[in-house]
Amino acid sequence: MNGSQIIVGLEIGTSKVCVAVGEVSGGQAVNIIGLGQAKSRGVRKGEIIDVALAEEDVRNAIVEAEQVADVEIRSVFLGVTGSHIRGFNNTGVHPVVSADREITGDDIQDVIKNAKAINLPTDHSVVHVIRQHFRVDGQDGVLNPEGMLGAKIEVDVHVVSGRYNRLQNPIRLVNGLHLEVDDIASSALATSLAILGTEQKELGTLVIDLGAGVTEYAVYSAGVIKHTGVLAVGGDHVSNDLAYGLKVPLARAEQIKIEHGSALIDPGARDRKIDLSDDSLIPGRRVNLGHLQKIMSMRLQETFELIAKDIGQAGLIEYLRAGVVLSGGGARIPHITKLARDVFNLPVAIGRSSTVSGVKNALDEPEFATSVGLIKFGAFQAQAAPRRAGFGRVIRRQVAALFGR
Amino acid sequence: MSKPGKKPTTANPTIRLIGLGETGVKLVETLAMIAPEGVVAHSLDTDNRSLSRCHQSRTFLLGQAIPCGLGTGGDSALARAAVESDSDELAGIVDDADLVFIVAGMGGGTGTGAAPFLANLAKQAGALVVGVAATPFDCEGIQRCNQAIGGLRDLKQVADAVFHFPNQDVIQLADADLGLHRALDIANRHLCEAVLGVSRMLLEPGMLNVSFADLQSLLRDRHSLGAVVHVEATGDDRTDDAMEKLLSHPAIRGGETLKEAGSLLVNFSGAEVTMAEMNAVTSAIGDRASAARLVVGASGHGSGETLQLTVVIAHAGKLAESEQDDASLKTSPSSQASAPGYSDPFTSPRADSYLDLGSEPGSSNRGGFAYTPPAPTADALSPECRNDLIQEAAKEEPNRAKRRKIVQEMLPLEIVSKGRFENSEPTIHKGEDLDQPTYIRRGVILN
Repeated sequence: MNGSQIIVGLEIGTSKVCVAVGEVSGGQAVNIIGLGQAKSRGVRKGEIIDVALAEEDVRNAIVEAEQVADVEIRSVFLGVTGSHIRGFNNTGVHPVVSADREITGDDIQDVIKNAKAINLPTDHSVVHVIRQHFRVDGQDGVLNPEGMLGAKIEVDVHVVSGRYNRLQNPIRLVNGLHLEVDDIASSALATSLAILGTEQKELGTLVIDLGAGVTEYAVYSAGVIKHTGVLAVGGDHVSNDLAYGLKVPLARAEQIKIEHGSALIDPGARDRKIDLSDDSLIPGRRVNLGHLQKIMSMRLQETFELIAKDIGQAGLIEYLRAGVVLSGGGARIPHITKLARDVFNLPVAIGRSSTVSGVKNALDEPEFATSVGLIKFGAFQAQAAPRRAGFGRVIRRQVAALFGR
Repeated sequence: MSKPGKKPTTANPTIRLIGLGETGVKLVETLAMIAPEGVVAHSLDTDNRSLSRCHQSRTFLLGQAIPCGLGTGGDSALARAAVESDSDELAGIVDDADLVFIVAGMGGGTGTGAAPFLANLAKQAGALVVGVAATPFDCEGIQRCNQAIGGLRDLKQVADAVFHFPNQDVIQLADADLGLHRALDIANRHLCEAVLGVSRMLLEPGMLNVSFADLQSLLRDRHSLGAVVHVEATGDDRTDDAMEKLLSHPAIRGGETLKEAGSLLVNFSGAEVTMAEMNAVTSAIGDRASAARLVVGASGHGSGETLQLTVVIAHAGKLAESEQDDASLKTSPSSQASAPGYSDPFTSPRADSYLDLGSEPGSSNRGGFAYTPPAPTADALSPECRNDLIQEAAKEEPNRAKRRKIVQEMLPLEIVSKGRFENSEPTIHKGEDLDQPTYIRRGVILN
C-alpha cells in the first residue's frame, strides 16, 4: 500500500462486462491505466442467469484489461445490481454516558452500530451503510461530532440491502476465476462516485444509470446519498418492445434501435420507412420510423416517470438543484436529455467521469462510469481504512463475514 | 345542396351506393348493373370471398389487419373495429357525395357493425345518408333478429333516414311454401326497386321534377324509419291496379303507414301518364294520408304501357335532437309496440322485440313494418306524464350504458409475448408488468 496501488473495478452488466484498472498514487488521485470489456451473454436484468457464459465473458474482459494496463489483476471491486437491491434510510440513537458528556470515537461507533441494527428479512443482507449526518441533542447537520458535548447522539444512514443468495452469485463467479473480491458496491453508488463532483453532491443531483438490464438511480443532496433505487427496466426492454411492435428479430431490433432510435418523436419521421431488405428474409421489408420512435419514446418516458414518482414520494425532487445527470448506454440515445428534461423539469446533462484522470476514452463513455466509479470506491475504502481505523475495520469485517472471505 | 359552391359544374346530385356485408354487396352488384348513369357503386366487406364475386362495383376490403379478409363471423364489434381502422379510406369514398345509400343486411357481422359508422362518416362529409336495410327472416333465430334490430337502431341514429325491409314480409306477400331462393329474390327486388326508384327520380329529367332538394327537405336529420314502395302496373285500368298493389304492399300495412306518414313523395314514371291517372292516384293517396305533406313528381320515361309508381314515405320525426324523445317515445302508450328501433338487443326479447315488431294489439296479421310516429312535444304533455317520462328515462340510463359497454368492449386479439423476458423474473411495479411494451399497456395503436 505504499507508493501507488492498483485498484480494479469490475461490472458484470447485462450487455457487457466492463473492467477498469486504476492506479491510486499518494492521496486520492485516481489514474485509469487500462480497460477491458466483453459482450455479456449470461446476464439478464443485471443478474446472472448463465454462470458458464458469464464466467467466460468476465475472464475475457479481465484478460483484455490486464493486457492493456500491463498488470496482473488479483482482486477486484465488484459492482452489484438487480431488482432485489433496496435502498432506505434509517436512524440510530445512542446516549452519551461519559461523565463529562464529551462524545468519543466509541460513542460514534455505537450510534452507527445502532443505526445498522435493521430489521431485514432473513434472506436479505446489507450491502452498504452510508452515513449521512449526525445530530447531537437535536442539533442537525453535524458532520463529525467527535469532541463535541452532548447527551444524545443520533445518526441518519442510508442502507442498501439485497438478497443474500443473489448477491453471492457474482462473488462466487469472480472467486471461481481465482480473483478476490475486495468489496462489493451498488452500481448506483459507484456511478455517482464517478461522475459527480463535490459541488453537484452539495447542491443536490439525481444520477440515472440507464443500463441494458436495469436502470439505477441515486439522489445526492447536501453532500450525502439520500436515496437509491433500482428499476429492472432497461435498454433490453426497449429492444424487446421494438422487436414486438415492429415484428423484427430481437437482434435486428437492437441494431435498429442503435441506428435509428430516438427518445423523442420527430414529427417529420412519422411516415418515413426504414428499409430492412438488406438482411431480412423478406425482400422489401420496411418498418415505420414513426412507430419505432413512438415505441421507444413511450418506454423511456415511462421509465423516467417511474423514477420521478419514486423521488417525488421520497420528497427529494425539490432538493435537486444541480439537476439530473444521465449515464450508462442509454445516455447515448439521441434527445434523451430533452426527454428527461421534459419529465423532471430540471436541467439534464450526460455524466462524464470528470473526477478521475487517465485513458481519455474511458472518461468520455457513459458506459464506463460504473467501473470507473468502483475504482474510486476502492480508493476511498483503501484510504478510509488506515485513517478511521475503527469504523473502516468494522465495515470490512462485516463484509468479510457476510461473504465468507 | 349539401355543399354549395363545391361542385358548380355537375347538374345532377352525386349518388353513391355502398353495399356493406354479404347481403349488401350482393344487392349492390345487382343494382350496379341496372342503375341509372351517375350512380357510383361500391362494395365493402370484410370477407374476401364475397368481394371476389364483384365485377360491377368498386370493391374495398375492410379491416385488412384484423379479420384479414376472412369475414367477421357475425361479430359486429369486430366489424366495427375493422371499419374504424379503415376510416380514412372510407372517408375518401363518401367525400363529395350528395346522397349516400348504405345498403346492408342487418343481423350479420359486417352490415350490422359497420353501417352506423359508415353512415356517420358520410354524414360528416355532408351527404344525405339513407340506409337501406334488410332484416332477417324470423326463422333465422332470435339472436340474429335482435342483433339486426340493434344494428337498425344504431344506423337510424346517425342516418337521415332508414328504409327498412323485413324479409319476413315476403312470406306475407307470397304464399308460405315459397322456395327460399325465390323468397330471397323477391326481398332483394323490393330493396333494389326502392334504391332505383329514388335514384331515377333524382337523376332523370321529369315533367314535374322531383329534385334532390325535395328529398332532402323530406328526410334530412329526421332519423326516421321510412319506406319506399315501388309498384308497376300495365293494362287499361293500370291506375286501379297500381293503387291495389300499393295498398297490398306489406310496407303499407293496409294503408296504416300512409295514415301516419309525415311526408310523402309520389313519383309517376311512364310514357303516357294522363292527368286523370295522376289525379286518381294522388287523390287516393291523399285520402288515406290526410296529415302528410305530399310532393308529386312525374317523368316521361319508361316503356309505353307501364305505369311506375314510387312512393317515399317518411315520418315527421323531430329534427336532430331525439335523445330525450327516444325515451319518451318508448313510454308513450300509442307507440308501445311500434318503436322497435329503441329496443335493447341484448336483453331478453320483450314486448318490443323483433318478433313482435309489427303486431300491435288487435291486428295480428299485419306486416312487420316498423315506424316511429312523431314524438309528442313537451308542452303537449301533462305535468304528471312528463314526470313519468323523465323517471322512465332516468331508469333507462344504466341500461343504455350497459349496452354501450358491451358493444365497445374488445378483447385483445393477440397474446402479448414477453420476448426475451419470457422466463425471467417479471418486473412488476404496482401491479403492472413492466416487461410488456409500454405502448401495449397504455393501449396505443400503431397505424
